[in-house]
Parts: sequence; C-alpha cells; structure tokens
Amino acid sequence: MAILEARGVHKVYETRGVETTAVNGVDLALEPGEFTVLYGPSGCGKTTLLNLLGALDEPTRGTVHLLGRDLGQLSSAALAQLRLHELGFIFQAYNLIPVLTARENVEFVMELQGVPAGDRKARSDAILAEVGLAEMADKRPLEMSGGQQQRVAVARAIVGRPAVVLADEPTANLDSHTASALLDLMLQLNRESGVTFLFSTHDPMVIEKARRRVRLLDGRIEADEREA
Amino acid sequence: MSLEWRLAWRNVWRNPRRTGLTIAATVFAVVLVVFFVAMAAGLHEKMIEDAVRLQSGHVAVAGAGYFENRTLEQYVVVDPAVEAAFDGAEGVRAWAPRVLGFGLLSKETDARGVAVLGVDPEREPEVTTLAERVQRGAFVSNDTPRGIVLASRLADNLGAEVGDVLFLYSQAWTLESAFDLFTVVGVMKIPDVNMDRSFAVISLADARDFFVYGDRASEVAVLASDAEAAPLVAAGLRSTLEGAEPVDVRTWDRLMPELVQFIFLDDAAMYMLLVILVVVVGFGILNTILMAVLERTRELGVLLALGLRPMAVFRVVYVESLALAGVGLLLGLVLAIPLVLWFEGHPVALTGEMAAATELFGMEPVMTWKLKPLNPIGSTITILGVAALAAFYPAVKAARGRPVDALRSL
Ligand SMILES: Nc1ncnc2c1ncn2[C@@H]1O[C@H](COP(=O)(O)OP(=O)(O)O)[C@@H](O)[C@H]1O
Ligand SMILES: [Mg+2]
Repeated sequence: MAILEARGVHKVYETRGVETTAVNGVDLALEPGEFTVLYGPSGCGKTTLLNLLGALDEPTRGTVHLLGRDLGQLSSAALAQLRLHELGFIFQAYNLIPVLTARENVEFVMELQGVPAGDRKARSDAILAEVGLAEMADKRPLEMSGGQQQRVAVARAIVGRPAVVLADEPTANLDSHTASALLDLMLQLNRESGVTFLFSTHDPMVIEKARRRVRLLDGRIEADEREA
Repeated sequence: MSLEWRLAWRNVWRNPRRTGLTIAATVFAVVLVVFFVAMAAGLHEKMIEDAVRLQSGHVAVAGAGYFENRTLEQYVVVDPAVEAAFDGAEGVRAWAPRVLGFGLLSKETDARGVAVLGVDPEREPEVTTLAERVQRGAFVSNDTPRGIVLASRLADNLGAEVGDVLFLYSQAWTLESAFDLFTVVGVMKIPDVNMDRSFAVISLADARDFFVYGDRASEVAVLASDAEAAPLVAAGLRSTLEGAEPVDVRTWDRLMPELVQFIFLDDAAMYMLLVILVVVVGFGILNTILMAVLERTRELGVLLALGLRPMAVFRVVYVESLALAGVGLLLGLVLAIPLVLWFEGHPVALTGEMAAATELFGMEPVMTWKLKPLNPIGSTITILGVAALAAFYPAVKAARGRPVDALRSL
C-alpha cells in the first residue's frame, strides 16, 4: 500500500483575479522505502506539490492520503501532529532555528514528540555522528557552512523517525561537490533506515542519484520512471 | 529549561540594540513609577501626620453632635474609668482631653471673638504640636494659673503682648455668665490664617473651672501608631465607650475631608502621568515584539512545519515578551528600591512656593519618601500586565500564520 498518495490533485492560486494552476491533476503514490526525485523547470509546480503532500497546504481539488488518512478530513491540530510524527521537512535554505545549536535543533523535534531527555541526547548524538557533524553539535547555524547546515536539516528531518521525508530543492544553495555528498548521505539514510524520501530539484546531476524520477511540467506529471 | 523556553529567551537577545533600548525604557519607567509613588506616599503620610498633630489627632472622641455644633452642650465625661479605657486601648500612642468654648477677649476697649481651647499642659504636647507653635513666651502650664496663649494675629489685633492682662467673657455650661482675667503667657503662630486671628489656648484645669465643666471634655484627641491604624483604634474606642454617654468617634479622614480630597487629587494627577508613561512603554514592547515576529516569519513557518502547534508558537512569542519586560522590571527595581530607600533616610527641604503650599497645611516644608510594599508589587503587576497585553497581538499573528505563507516569504 502507498505510504503517501495524491489523487487528482489540483492547486489553483488566485492573485488579483488572475488564476494560476500550479498543480493540474496529479496522481502520485509513494511506496515505502522509495527514493524519489521530483524534477522539472522552475515554476512547474514542485514546491506547490510538496507542500500539498506535506500537509502544509490544501489542494483546490483532489485528495492526499498519508498512511491511509485523508488529510482533507483532519483538523489543523491533527495535521500538526501528523507533521510532527510522520513527516520530515528539508527546505532549500534557512531550515534551522538560528538561536539553537545543531544539537538543539535536532532535539527540538524529539522534545515536541515527547521523547525523554536522556533518549533525546543519545539519539541526537548518534544522528549528528551519522551525518558527520559530531564536532559541530554545539555550534549555531551561522557558525556552519551551507552544506553543514543542510546536513543538520537532514538529521533533524530524520531523527523523529518519520514515514516520509520531503525535501524541496535541498541542494539548490550548495556547490556541486557538497550537493552530491548531501545526496549520498540521504541515499545512505534511506538504505539504512528505510525512510521514504521525496525531493525536488532541477539539477541533472542530482536527478541521476534517485531511483525513481518523476518529471513535472506545467503542473502535470510528464514522466515517471523507476530504476530496475 | 525546555528548548521552547530556551528559544524564547535567546530570541530576546537576537537584536541586542533593540532589546537594550526597550529594556532601558522599561527600567526608566519602573524607576520613575517606584520613585514617584514612594514620593507621593511619603508626602501624603507626612501631610496626614502633620495635620493630625496640628489639630485633632488621628481619632477624635466627642459627645454626639459635637462636630456639627461645637458647643459646651456636647461632651464626654472623662472619669477614671474612661481614662483607663483610653490608656488600655490598642494602637493608641497618646491621648489628650480638650475643652472648647467661645467668648469675647478684650484688652482695654478692644474686644475680639475667640475660640478658647483648654488643653492639658502635660498630655497635649504628646498628641499635637500646638505647644511647639509658641513663638514668644511659653505654653500654658499648671504652675501659672489663668495663663493664656494667643494666636499671633489675634495678639496683633488686640495689641497684646506677653505679660498683658486680658478680660475673657463667655457663658458657662451652667448658662451663668463666665468672666475672668487671664495673663498672656505666650504667642503662637497658627498656619491657618482664620484660626490665627481668633484662637487662644488656656489650661484644661482653667477651662473646666471657667466654664464650670467638671470632669467633662469637649473632645479627646487620640494619636494612633499611624494613620492606617486609625480605623482600628476608632472601632476599639467605640466599642469600649459604648453605653456611657452617646459619643461620636471620628477618624482623621472624616475630621479633615479637605486633606483627603487633596490627597485624592494629588494621587489622581500622578497616576495619570504614570499611566501615560506605562502606555508608552507598552507600545515600545509591542513594537519590539511585532518587529521580531515579522522578521522571523520564515522561521516561525519552519517551526509550524516541524509540527509546533499554534498554541506553542503563541507561547514562544509571549514568553519572549514577558522575559523582555521582566528583565527591564528586575533591573528597574534593583535601581529604584535602593534609591527610594536612600531618599527615605534623606528628606529634601523644600523652598519657595512649594514650601509655602505645604506650610498652608501646617506641614513642615520637607519632602519625604516612603516605600510601601504595594509599590514594587503594583509596579511589577503593571509592567508584566502591560507586556502581556502588548504581546497579545504579535503572538496571535505569529500563531495564526500558515506554514506555506511563512515558508514562501523568502
Ligand atoms: N502563492 C502563490 N500565489 C500565486 N501563484 C503562485 C503561488 N505560489 C506559486 N505560484 C505559481 O505557481 C506555479 C508553480 O510554482 P512552484 O510550485 O513554486 O514551482 P516550482 O517550485 O517548481 O518552481 C508558478 O507559476 C508560480 O508562479
Ligand atoms: Mg520551488
């Protein structure tokens, strides 16, 4: 059964009487453990679709199901709970809370989840070591490079043991070498923990790394290929 | 400390200059509020104390109807039992019986209407400052019978000086004519001009003899431990003296309604200014927190995306605002309390118009401070209340934000 599924999803924005159809009838189902890229030119609707899948926004038409639950039927409090426990987010930039250290940023999610303090410490240390930032644990975001910040964001996204991690152009602000390393890290975590990843990009080199590639154009899925 | 609190606390210091300015404004306001409230408290306490010591004491006990009529027909009998009641009453520092009569005082062909107060030369100085008002000569005493102390303008109008012999004519309690010769032993200055024209003091023994008044008194002036104890003392005396003659026991605020009114108006004017000050500080806090929220739209969006509930976002903003005000408040109190305590020990002498105004009320022209516990407590509640109010709109704005809008704003 699909872990996250969009059925006939449309999103129409209206600004000053002008309607823009950002997502135009998308059907997409993510299976557990998949590592999927959503790619396409700027403005094709990647961010909009990720926001809809991540319970951050509501579709104009169509439904989104996460773990079998119809997001359209849930209250905003229930959606917050779902985001907290079942979803991890990585954004393009400015992901981290600047006044909290790397460890605190990672622990914050667990604190919200109600994980006991002792476990939090152990789990944040383990995940920071896994993303190669054990020494940076007590640094604040501004003391870290862009690549290091994104690694912390990955650690934070995964530490709460979500069902799906959604990443919107996580490598857009990184140089190609750092971008490639971040992707390798995400792949490794996907293999080790089995967490489902869906990320967007328009960087061809990054697209290569995914095992499933979904091409979006003008709000529609144009191609959907799985590696054998 | 939970991360939520740590987040709020660290957010306070993210824009050190803006935070510093807001804290400075809060400190300034707290110091002013505490200082002025203490100054008013000191002034008012002193006014009450001085007025009370000039005239009637904190509590006056008289025959029913005395305060309206002031004739010899209203009296309290001061027998040993009543004396014991006053001596034994709780909260009574001192008490003094008085006899008040009216008569005509003349020197040669010149005559003036006077209020003649008979006071106990030993007890009166314990209750009022009347004896200290003597400028020339001496106060009445039991050693010089038929001595009289004149208010200064009365002495001027009569052309009388210490040593002169005056003729006092009146009606005794028995309705017979009362007349006798009195020797001027002193001249005193009374702040109230009208009273200074028509007031004289003789000894209680002479007054009782002259008015044929026995062991009666027109009123008994009672000095309580302080003004705030007056109602309790009055209640105690009322219940002890009940049953004998019908008595009227009044506290200073009923005896001196003008003073109460003055204090009320003075307080009202001061609090109005302080309210304006506090409102300005409130807008400072509102501005700071609102700016902070608007600057952090994206960050708040990330928090919401992570699953922080709107109520928690509200709390983070709220705690930040209270912490901001709390720091200012704490620093303000740390500065203000020692400052006011120092001034409590170092009264400031007044000059010019202010001095004249205070002297009108029979007060020493001195400014004093008094730090009552309610002052810092009230300041704390006010500042935190204002911060809570000021934070409400920004906090609601932050909590209402939709994550998508917040995330798109960069
Ligand atoms: N809030 C919005 N209001 C109006 N139009 C929007 C809004 N967000 C996105 N769009 C439009 O929707 C389309 C898809 O945008 P987006 O999802 O951001 O694409 P991508 O992430 O692939 O660049 C674009 O044409 C964009 O201008
Ligand atoms: Mg985008």
